[in-house]
Amino acid sequence: MKINMASKAIDFLESHKSETPSQFMEDVKWRKENESWLRWSRQLATTLMGYMQEHKMKRADLAHKLNVSPQYVSRLLSGTENLSFKSIANIEEKLGISCITICPA
Amino acid sequence: MKFVRIIEGYDHLWAVKETDKATDELTQLFRDWTNGEYLFDFFMENMEDLKEYFHIERIDEAVNDTFEDADVLQELVLEFPYTENLDELFTPLAMSDTVNRELSREKARNWERNRHASWLRIYAIRLEPNVYVVTGGAIKLTPTMQDREHTMIQLEKLNRLKNYLKANGVFDRDSFVELTNED
Repeated sequence: MKINMASKAIDFLESHKSETPSQFMEDVKWRKENESWLRWSRQLATTLMGYMQEHKMKRADLAHKLNVSPQYVSRLLSGTENLSFKSIANIEEKLGISCITICPA
Repeated sequence: MKFVRIIEGYDHLWAVKETDKATDELTQLFRDWTNGEYLFDFFMENMEDLKEYFHIERIDEAVNDTFEDADVLQELVLEFPYTENLDELFTPLAMSDTVNRELSREKARNWERNRHASWLRIYAIRLEPNVYVVTGGAIKLTPTMQDREHTMIQLEKLNRLKNYLKANGVFDRDSFVELTNED
């Protein structure tokens, strides 16, 4: 009997299925494939958040200090931006902080 | 209201996909929980709750903990549908859902978090043993869902789906009894 009811429930879901499939598994795949550098990007993002909180700064203030656009600050804060060493060094220099530890002792 | 299957070939885990939204509820949850900018805005808005209920004052700590927790929860979501043990991942939301698990409202969380309890929740309706439809989720910082608007909205989404499924006869005691009698 249980099997019938389960089928009824799944039949209902099937008959009301969206034409757009879930992107969850694709997203998971991307996060896993990029896991190694994403942790650095996240580390940089949270360091910037701590800096902003400590200095009571908004996005626009940080953008001004870094001489970048607010949109770029948004990307930095997302923790999903693949930055170059040059860009990271530029941020560290302008804020006087160390953003990421690539090779911890 | 439409639905999507989360893992192709497996019938256990589904999510609501509203027609006016670009993606389904589960996908959106994890996009938010892995997006530092979203989390930064959320914790800035809810800083007082973070301090009061978790004694955390640093936003970078809160965001880091969420990143970690989302990764763990993602693994749990990936693991359980394959093992057909989704009933071990989800637990009833309230006492009323424990007493009567027909279309019960359920939550999933990481129960093994270090330092402080996990604040991430996935909410779902249980259609049958091991068959769940995710309605959404939340960063729950307060004791009850009624305490804040963003968790209250999630509670309403759960109730809305439950009522929708009931109205469409997906599960009701009368039809269950009727079918049982036919056997």
